[in-house]
Amino acid sequence: MCGIAGVLFKHQGSHEIGRTLIEMLDGCQHRGPDSTGFALYGEDKEQLQLRFIVPTEKNARQAAIDNIATLLARHAATIDSEQSVGCSYQIAVNFEGDLLAFTKDIEEHAKLVSVGHTLDIIKDDGTAHELDDLYHVGEVRGTHGIGHVRLATESAVRPEAAHPFWATGFEDIAIVHNGQITNYWKMRRRLERRGFAFHTDNDSELVAVYLADKLQQGESLDSVLETAIADLDGTFSFLVSTPDEIGYAKDNLAAKPMVLYETDDMIAIASEEVSLNRLFPGQSINSTEPAPGTHQTWSRSI
Amino acid sequence: MVTIDLSQTEITAANTRIRDCGRDGLDVEIVNPDARHNIGVGLVDPISVKVRGSAGYFCGGLSDGAHYEIEHNAGWAVGDNIYTGSVVVGGNAGAIAGVAIRGAEIVVRGNMGSRAGQVMKAGTLCCGGKAAFMAGYMMYGGRIIILGDAAARVGQDMSAGEIFVGGKIESLGNDTMIVDMEAAERDEIMQFLERYKMNYKGDFTKIVNAGKKLRYANQEPRARPQPFFVSSNSSNYWNPKVQEDIWIKGEVGRYRIRGYGASKPVPHLNDIAFVKDVSSQHYEPAELKDINLKTTVGGRYGAKPLSLSMPVMIAPMSFGALSRSVKIALARASRLSGISENTGEGGMLDEQRAEADQLIFQCLSGRLGWNVKDMQRADAIEIYISQGAKPGLGGQLMAKKVTPELAAIRGIPQGIDLRSPSRHPDVLGADDLVIKVEEFREATMHKVPLGIKMGAGRVNDDIKIAYKDGFDFVELDGLQGSTGAASTEVLENVGIPTLSAVQEAIDGLQEIGAGDDMDLVMMGGIKDGVDVVKMLALGADCTSVGTSAIIAGGCIACMQCHVGTCPVGIATQDKEHEARYDIDLQSQNIHRYFESLRWQIASITKALGYDDVHQVSRDDLVALTPEAADITGLPLLAEHPALHKPDLGLEVLDRKAG
Repeated sequence: MCGIAGVLFKHQGSHEIGRTLIEMLDGCQHRGPDSTGFALYGEDKEQLQLRFIVPTEKNARQAAIDNIATLLARHAATIDSEQSVGCSYQIAVNFEGDLLAFTKDIEEHAKLVSVGHTLDIIKDDGTAHELDDLYHVGEVRGTHGIGHVRLATESAVRPEAAHPFWATGFEDIAIVHNGQITNYWKMRRRLERRGFAFHTDNDSELVAVYLADKLQQGESLDSVLETAIADLDGTFSFLVSTPDEIGYAKDNLAAKPMVLYETDDMIAIASEEVSLNRLFPGQSINSTEPAPGTHQTWSRSI
Repeated sequence: MVTIDLSQTEITAANTRIRDCGRDGLDVEIVNPDARHNIGVGLVDPISVKVRGSAGYFCGGLSDGAHYEIEHNAGWAVGDNIYTGSVVVGGNAGAIAGVAIRGAEIVVRGNMGSRAGQVMKAGTLCCGGKAAFMAGYMMYGGRIIILGDAAARVGQDMSAGEIFVGGKIESLGNDTMIVDMEAAERDEIMQFLERYKMNYKGDFTKIVNAGKKLRYANQEPRARPQPFFVSSNSSNYWNPKVQEDIWIKGEVGRYRIRGYGASKPVPHLNDIAFVKDVSSQHYEPAELKDINLKTTVGGRYGAKPLSLSMPVMIAPMSFGALSRSVKIALARASRLSGISENTGEGGMLDEQRAEADQLIFQCLSGRLGWNVKDMQRADAIEIYISQGAKPGLGGQLMAKKVTPELAAIRGIPQGIDLRSPSRHPDVLGADDLVIKVEEFREATMHKVPLGIKMGAGRVNDDIKIAYKDGFDFVELDGLQGSTGAASTEVLENVGIPTLSAVQEAIDGLQEIGAGDDMDLVMMGGIKDGVDVVKMLALGADCTSVGTSAIIAGGCIACMQCHVGTCPVGIATQDKEHEARYDIDLQSQNIHRYFESLRWQIASITKALGYDDVHQVSRDDLVALTPEAADITGLPLLAEHPALHKPDLGLEVLDRKAG
C-alpha cells in the first residue's frame, strides 16, 4: 500500500532526477510513511554497480561486508570502489561473466538490492527527506528514475522490503508498485519452477521477476506490460524502468490511482496529482488519468 | 472575498478559516491549491469557494449548501457525499466524482474517472467530456448526464436513478436497460446545461435499472421458528435444523439467510479462567464504589475521548435491522448506564441522538444515512470495514424492512432487497484510507475520536494498518458477532473466533512497537461481566455488547430477524409488530442488565485484589483447554505452577446476578 512516482527527461543531458523524485515522493508521503526508495539512472559506468543492504550494527556489518568480498572473489569480480552508508553498502566491481549465475549465487548469501551500469537503487526505512539527508539523493543527476513510498501491510518494515525492486538477474531494471497482486502465490510458484528465487514475501518482487523473465526472453517492454495486465490479478498501478525507458501498467478495475503529465521535455507519473504539482508550484497542469487496463512506455533520446 | 494561500497555510487551518467565513457569509478564494487534498471539507454554510488551480481528493466533500468552483482538475471523490450545494470542475475529475451525493449538483467540464456517481442517492452529476468505466456504479438515485462517450459497464448494479449519455456507450452494466426519454426530461436537462453554460445540442440515450436483480428471485418460505439452541445442536449432523436447511435450499435454490452469529462451538472466554479463586468473595454494590471502572476511548490524537462509566459500549446495530423503538431504548439505556450507543449502518435518528449522551456515528460503504450534519453532532465517528458475522461482505436488508421511512433516511428506493456494497468506493487500500481519515477529521474539526470497525479475518495485518492510518480506536469483532441478516454458511464459517482475534491484535500491535495509545474495543460473544474482565485481562481496553443487550431488551432468539415480522417488535420495520415493543419497560431491562455487568466487573476486580479494572492482566488468567492455551499463550491449568486444586467457580456472581 503505497505511493509511486516516476520521471523521464526526454532529451540528453544531466537532469536533477534525485531532487525531482524527492519532491514528488514528499508530496505523497502520506500514502506511505514507513519507507522510501529511489531507482535512479545516471551516467553509464564502466564497472558494474552493486548495492547491498547490510546490518547497521558494527560487527554484523563488517561480517556482512567480509562475506560479500568472499562471494565476489568466488566469481573473480574485483572491487574498484566502495561506499558504506546507512543500511547499505555500495560497490563498483569489475566483472566479466554470466550475470544471472553471478547474481543468483550472491543473492543466496547477501541482500543484493541493485545491479546495473546506470541504475542505482537507494531504499531505507524513513521518509524521502530522511533518505536525502543520509544518502544525498538530491545530488544525483541523470536521465530518469522511479520512486516509492511504502506503508507496510502484509510484509515487514525492513529496508529490503522497501521498493523499488530490482528485477533479479537482469541489470538496470527496476519496478515500483502500488496495489496488491492477488494471484501472488500461483505466479510465484510458476516462476520458482523456472528457477527464479524470491527473497521477500512482497508481491512487488513478483512483478519485478515476472517482467525480467519476459524481458530476458527478448520481448519489448511494451509487450511485456501488455501480458502483465492479463497475467496478474488484483489491483495495481506499477512503473517499470530500463536504461532507456519508463512505462506503466494499470489493472482492469482502475482501483489504484495514477496520473501522468507529459510535455515535450519530460514525462512525470505519480499516484496523485499533488506529486506532479510539486514540480510546478502555483500552476495548473493538464494531467491525465490513464484508463483501466492500459499501459504505455516512453523512451529517452539516445 | 477572503483569499487563502495554500502554499502558506496548512489544510486544517485553511478549512477552519473557510468555516469561519461561512459563518460570516464571506466568499473564499483559494490560491496555490496545487492539488492538495480535502479543500473545503465539512462546510455547512451557503458561501462560494473558488479554487484557483487544481484540487486533490475530496474537494468540497461532506458539505451542505456551499458552492465550489475548481478552475482546473479535481482528484478522487470530488463532492463526496454533498447534501445540497454544487461543485463545478473546470478541467478533469479523477475517479468516483460525485460519490454518495444526496442532492448536490456536480459539473465536470472535462472528463471524469471511473465509477463516477458510485452509491449516489439524489442530485445531478454532469460531465462535459468522457466518463471512464462503471459510471453510476451501484447508484441508488439521482441522475448522471454524460455529454461525451461512456466507457464500459454504464450503470453497473444500479438500483434506481437515470443515466443520460450523449456520446457512444461502450457497454451497459448488469441489470440495466435503455428506455425512451420523455420530452419533459430532455427539457429539464437542457435547462440544467444552460444554467451551467454547457453547449450541447445532440441526443441522449437513457439508461435505467432493469429491475431483474433488485429482489431475490425466490423467497424463502416461512419456517417454523426454531430457537437458537436448537439450531446450534451440532452434536448431530442430521438434526431437524439441518434437514430443514437442506429442504429449503432445495426449494429456493440458493443459500439461506438468518440473523445472529456463528453457532458452532469455538474456543472462547469460557475456556479461560482466573488464576485466583474469586468465588469465595462476596461484595454488595456499596462495597464496590471505590473500584474504578471508568474507561476513556479515543484520546490518541487529542480529540475529546468517549468517557464511559465502565469498559462497555453498545455495539453498532442499524436502524433498519432494528426498529426505531429498539434504537431509542438502547440509546436511553446507554445514557442511564453512562456508556455509549452506536448508530450502526442506517443513519442517525433524532430521538436516538436526544436519548444517548454519547453516540458513535458509523460510516458504511453504501453511505446509507451518512451526512455531514449528523457527523458534526456525533461524539465519535467510526468507519466500518467489516463485521465478525460476515467479514468482507456487504449487509443485507430484506425488502420487508425497506419501508418508505427507512428508504428516506438511507436515500434508497423502497421495497428492494438491499444488498450493501462490500467495500468503500474511496477506500481501496490502506493508502487511500489515510486520506479518508483526514477527510473525516477535517469534517469534524479534529474534535471527535475516529474509530474503525473490523471483522476478524487477518487481524495481525489489519490492526497494523489501523494503527498506521491514525485511528483513535478499533472495534474488533470476532466470528461470534451477530447480524440482522447474512448467509448461514458465511455466519458459521468466515472469520476467526473472538479469542484468536484479541490475541492477534495484541501481538500485531506489539510487533510494530505500537504503544497503548490506540484503544482496542473487543466484541463478538461478550455475555456477562466475567467475559468483560477476561477480555481486559487479555489486553483489550474496552468491550462492546450487541446481542446480549438485545436479549436483555426482549429478544426471544426465534431466528426470524431477517424476515421483518419480528414477534417482539425488535427486528422489524412493520408498525404493527413494532407496537409490541415497550420502550420504557425494555430500556429499563437493558439498563438493569448493564448494571449487572457493572456489579460483576467491579466484584471480580476487587476479588482479584485491584481497585481499578484496568489493572487486570494476563497474569490473572489461566487456560482451561489446550486450544485456548495455544491461541492465547496463557499457561494451561494443569501446568500452572501456582495452582493447587483450584476452585474456579463463580458462584458468588451467579447468585447475585440472579
